[in-house]
Amino acid sequence: MATSISAQERVSAGPAKRPRRIHWIAYLLVAPYVIYNLVFWVYPFVWGLIIAFQEWNIVSPRKEWVGLGNFQQVVTNSQFWNALWVTAKFWIVFLPAVTVASLLLALMLQRVSHFRGFYIAAYLASYTMAGVAYSVVFMLLLSGNGLINTWIWKLFHVRVPWFTDPRLAMISIAMVVVWKFVGYYGLIFLAGLNAIPRELYDAAAVDGANAWQRFLHITIPLLNPSFTVVFVFATILSYGIFTEPYLITGGGPLGSTQTFMLLIYQKTFENLEAGLGSAMAISMAALSFASTGVVRRLIEREVAL
Amino acid sequence: MRRLSVFLALFAVLSLLVAACAVPAPPAAQTGPEEASAEEAVTLTFWTAPNPLQEAFWKEVVDEWNATHPAIQIDWQVIPAGASSEEVLLTAIATGTAPDISTNIFSGFAAQLVSSGAIVPLDEQFPDFWELAETRKMRSILEKGWGYQGHYYVLPLYNNPMRYWWGTALLNEAGMDEPPLTYGDVKALCEAIKIPGERYAIMFPSPKNWWDRWFGFLTLYYAASQGAPYLDVEKGEVLFDNEYGMAVLNFMNDMFRNECAPTESLANPLENGLVAGSVRGPWSIIPTAEKFPDFEYVVTTPPVPDAYPKGQPVYTFADTKGMVLFAQSRNKEAAWEFMKWYFSDVQHDVSWLEATNLPPVREDLTTNSLFAEYFDANPKVKAYAEGVPYSVPPALTPATIEVQRLMGREMIEPIWFGTKTPEQAMADAVKAIEDYLALSK
Repeated sequence: MATSISAQERVSAGPAKRPRRIHWIAYLLVAPYVIYNLVFWVYPFVWGLIIAFQEWNIVSPRKEWVGLGNFQQVVTNSQFWNALWVTAKFWIVFLPAVTVASLLLALMLQRVSHFRGFYIAAYLASYTMAGVAYSVVFMLLLSGNGLINTWIWKLFHVRVPWFTDPRLAMISIAMVVVWKFVGYYGLIFLAGLNAIPRELYDAAAVDGANAWQRFLHITIPLLNPSFTVVFVFATILSYGIFTEPYLITGGGPLGSTQTFMLLIYQKTFENLEAGLGSAMAISMAALSFASTGVVRRLIEREVAL
Repeated sequence: MRRLSVFLALFAVLSLLVAACAVPAPPAAQTGPEEASAEEAVTLTFWTAPNPLQEAFWKEVVDEWNATHPAIQIDWQVIPAGASSEEVLLTAIATGTAPDISTNIFSGFAAQLVSSGAIVPLDEQFPDFWELAETRKMRSILEKGWGYQGHYYVLPLYNNPMRYWWGTALLNEAGMDEPPLTYGDVKALCEAIKIPGERYAIMFPSPKNWWDRWFGFLTLYYAASQGAPYLDVEKGEVLFDNEYGMAVLNFMNDMFRNECAPTESLANPLENGLVAGSVRGPWSIIPTAEKFPDFEYVVTTPPVPDAYPKGQPVYTFADTKGMVLFAQSRNKEAAWEFMKWYFSDVQHDVSWLEATNLPPVREDLTTNSLFAEYFDANPKVKAYAEGVPYSVPPALTPATIEVQRLMGREMIEPIWFGTKTPEQAMADAVKAIEDYLALSK
């Protein structure tokens, strides 16, 4: 009886309470990351959100609340919708091009037995290069009398207006960005390829599957996580293109490379319409978020190895 | 809950820290140089254009000042790296970290700064402003193009009257003894030297940047119209929709459609003999001489319509920039002392010219014997200096950038790519600009 009472008491009292301890060391360890995020992400984001509802010219201390006025301007601004169209054009070219190029690179790197680290670093170098530097290099390479056009002229007696034809300019910029990211995305695919067990290929080979069938039915499905990451990164990146059009085309010709970032920069820092620029940035972020969600829904599959 | 409390506390502390850094300190009472004791030297921050030639010049000037003025020391640096000087300065103003004084301010940007109360009206703040203007021989120039809303905010440093360069080799090949001065001359040159897809008569500045309107359309418009204004800032009206503006557009259209002007971007086309002529500022003289020592060229006024009155001077666009004093400065009197010291010594202008080739803003530039020796030794720079009296600065409007971007988008790019007739391009540009000006009033 005594035993049953004490058991009942124990149940009603629950587990014994221990004094809570604050793990200061843990907080200290995560503090740099938290502080970095607070300073460079949370604070600007909150501030940007506030500005989006104000009319402010950056320089003046005077700010005026305008409610949803800036967002109304965004919706009726033809340049904003042009930027969406430009982003879509970029994405349509960039996504397949960078996916195919980086997958091929990863497949090649997987077969390299010597100096693999060197090759990876070499292809990754473009990713670490300053945007201004390579934009100027490509601008000179692809100018009317640049190296590439000089060869084309010698071979075919034509010059390709890479950055000066409204139909070609965004494609050319997309190719420059592919060059920059092929090493980085290639590394993501390489990690995915290395995670696929060799036994699956061996078993398929025993069953008579040829190389193409093994690639199509083993490699591609099992690379789904890598595809998802690359597609999501590429989609987010499509909304964030700035340096290349800013330096190479200035948003032209005829607005064909006027990306969101370029438009936001011009509105904010050149026209001093910080409220409108901020509202555009928030609207763009919402579009980017939605696009990423759609891409994930279409691509992402559960992969069990 | 405890974790959330710690997080929120951390966030609050950090927000306060960031806010404390971001909010400009309230301006302290002005300190005159006379109030500063030798022990408590006033330190002014001074930013100049990020240009190697100008950097070398300003370093010497600042060293000279600092050596002779222990009570007011200058902390000099070039405008920090950024997408543009304007963006960097705006960010600095917004964060309360603007310098006391800065150069590299064009009139349209000054107008933007004035609208926000970011720069000091020098004529109002300092009673000896006009005395300085007289000493520097720039009173009439100031009165003609630098007043804004009844006051003067900028001390103009230099004035680059835009000129055309014509490659001597191609002129010789065309059998032309004189460089082209009219549209007809350029067309004749084109007929003589054109090789479709390979060689052209003239190159217009690329349509990609808003500032290229200054050197492209506006330079030709000022030339054709004898310096007529292109914008009525007060009324928000476009004024270039006249016979002169149309003449310029028709000329550009003719050049593009007849393959006399390239539509693709070319690297150093003039020096490489791909085009015969192109608009250039005096800043190109030194780099061209260094990079292309064998390239020979003549410097002329911009081409004008064939019906241009004979014997009349040809006007052009003045690429002119100056020095301003920021309202955030806590040492305005000391800053003014430095500005006065710099602008009242003609020797500074002589040294500036020698260092940069950019003509200083002076009425006596071509008559003062101090400059004569340099001009005699540098006839190409003299060709620019002679254009100073006939050079017109841009319209003083805070909407400069958007106006010129609309000009590019609605008018120049369509002409460049042949997607609109000159008449349609003009009509569209006028409507877009006037709509924008009406909205931004």
